[in-house]
Amino acid sequence: MRTAWAWVLLAPPLAMTLLLFVGPLVYLFWVSVHEASSSELYGHALTLRNYVEVVGDSFYLSIIRRTLGVAAAILGFCLLIGYPVAYFVALQPARRRMHVLLLLLFPLMVSNVVRAYGWVAILGRRGVVNTGLRELRLIDAPLDLLYTTEAVVVGLMTILLPYMVISIANTLSALDRSFEEAAQSLGAGPVRTFVHVTLPLSTPGVASGVLLVFLLTLSAYVTITLLGGPRSKLLVSMIYDGVTAFQWPHAAALAFVLLALALALTALILAVLRPRRVQGVGR
Amino acid sequence: MMPSAAVGRTIRGSATAIAFALIVLPILIVVITAFSPGDYFEFPPPGLSMRWFIEFFRLAEMRNAFALSLELALAAATLATALGTMGALFLARRRGWIAALLQSLFLAPLVFPTIILGVALLLLYRTVGMPVFSGLLLAHCIVGMPYAFRTVLASAQALDPALEEAGQSLGASPSRTLFFVTLPLVWQGVVSGWLFAFIVSFGELNTALFLTGPGLTTLPIEIFSYLQFQGSQLVIAAASTLQVALIVVMVTAVERIVGMGRIIRAR
Repeated sequence: MRTAWAWVLLAPPLAMTLLLFVGPLVYLFWVSVHEASSSELYGHALTLRNYVEVVGDSFYLSIIRRTLGVAAAILGFCLLIGYPVAYFVALQPARRRMHVLLLLLFPLMVSNVVRAYGWVAILGRRGVVNTGLRELRLIDAPLDLLYTTEAVVVGLMTILLPYMVISIANTLSALDRSFEEAAQSLGAGPVRTFVHVTLPLSTPGVASGVLLVFLLTLSAYVTITLLGGPRSKLLVSMIYDGVTAFQWPHAAALAFVLLALALALTALILAVLRPRRVQGVGR
Repeated sequence: MMPSAAVGRTIRGSATAIAFALIVLPILIVVITAFSPGDYFEFPPPGLSMRWFIEFFRLAEMRNAFALSLELALAAATLATALGTMGALFLARRRGWIAALLQSLFLAPLVFPTIILGVALLLLYRTVGMPVFSGLLLAHCIVGMPYAFRTVLASAQALDPALEEAGQSLGASPSRTLFFVTLPLVWQGVVSGWLFAFIVSFGELNTALFLTGPGLTTLPIEIFSYLQFQGSQLVIAAASTLQVALIVVMVTAVERIVGMGRIIRAR
């Protein structure tokens, strides 16, 4: 009786996840290893050509390199700005910390298209920066700030920054202060204490922040399109173009290249930061 | 005070000021310009008016997109919360590798690149001939489910198991125990899970990008295509402001019903 009841609870969410998450992905992979077809979604013959075309093409390799470069720049800035902010947040008294975190959480709930539009309004030819500089008579003609890779980095970085801050702040505020006090009472200065005690202890938060920001960067099609324009396309833009051109096997292969990239870098990030070591699980 | 401590304080303070400016200003500028009476983008706006909000509701495609987004968010959040709650209650007291695997499976859409999910769903829908609205609803449900699952799981795991055992030992059937003991005790998790799923659905881009059809477009996608093909007209600022306003209402609701602490821990 108890087990029968348990199955009633599990069956609907499991069916939903298998049918509309796992299933479609398996099907997409199946299509990615088939030939293209002009009359149907995909041809009959099995082939690895879709993957070979991506990995062996210097155009796609340069897109992949640009994607990784943009992701690395976003991660770098997010860490550089996000870590001190998280530290600031963690040092606040509990009630005010809650307010600051809520203020950081709110922008994450606003749709990314609205936040990207905000950057279009700032960086566009008639935008805030260009009108400001013209009124100060620093420039004569508007600068082309939008539709550049830099615009993508700045826009996406600020859109994703709250994830980094919240992840690190949660770890830092849960940290036992007595570790830092012990280091200081043993004669370590604030800098030494930070580098050798606080920073290593906060790696679980850093790891989850880095992973979130990285994975969200890879699939941020709308932000990349609005801020980067046609000249700063990333891997995700290629997937979209493939789908709209009905090149299903090709688009499917690109999607799995993106996924492989995501998995490989997730493994790399976890291997470098080793968050589990801090929690006392393994070395 | 030691100088390096003061340096640390300065770094933290200025980084925080920069970060908040970078995060909040873009949204603030959009909201302010939405009230502009002018014909095109100008900051600061020359005056205040409701012109572009009136224009928003006058445009059929905008009005329809707003209505569709609301309908979708209500339906998808309800379905996602029902399914997420079932999964969470099933897993709350289970241990072992199967339970761990199921939990990762239910949480996976949270970190999975949703653009790939969008492509995969479009392919599936093309193959089986799925109607546009049902397709969108199911996609938004899959994307919102992990949020509901996580908040309910946190509530259910914090529950004293003795309460459920008491219900059962007093002769209540499992379904009676669920509806009269467990659910009333985890309702805060259920409510905040629903609100999260609603917010996520209302702003969803990556799957809706592929799944909207002619005449059936959600508000974020309508904003996106306007920006892409018709330039940044101010009606977009009004549309964005309505998006922000609805989120403010929802967040206030979460705050009133369950308190702020839960929102932050749920992330």
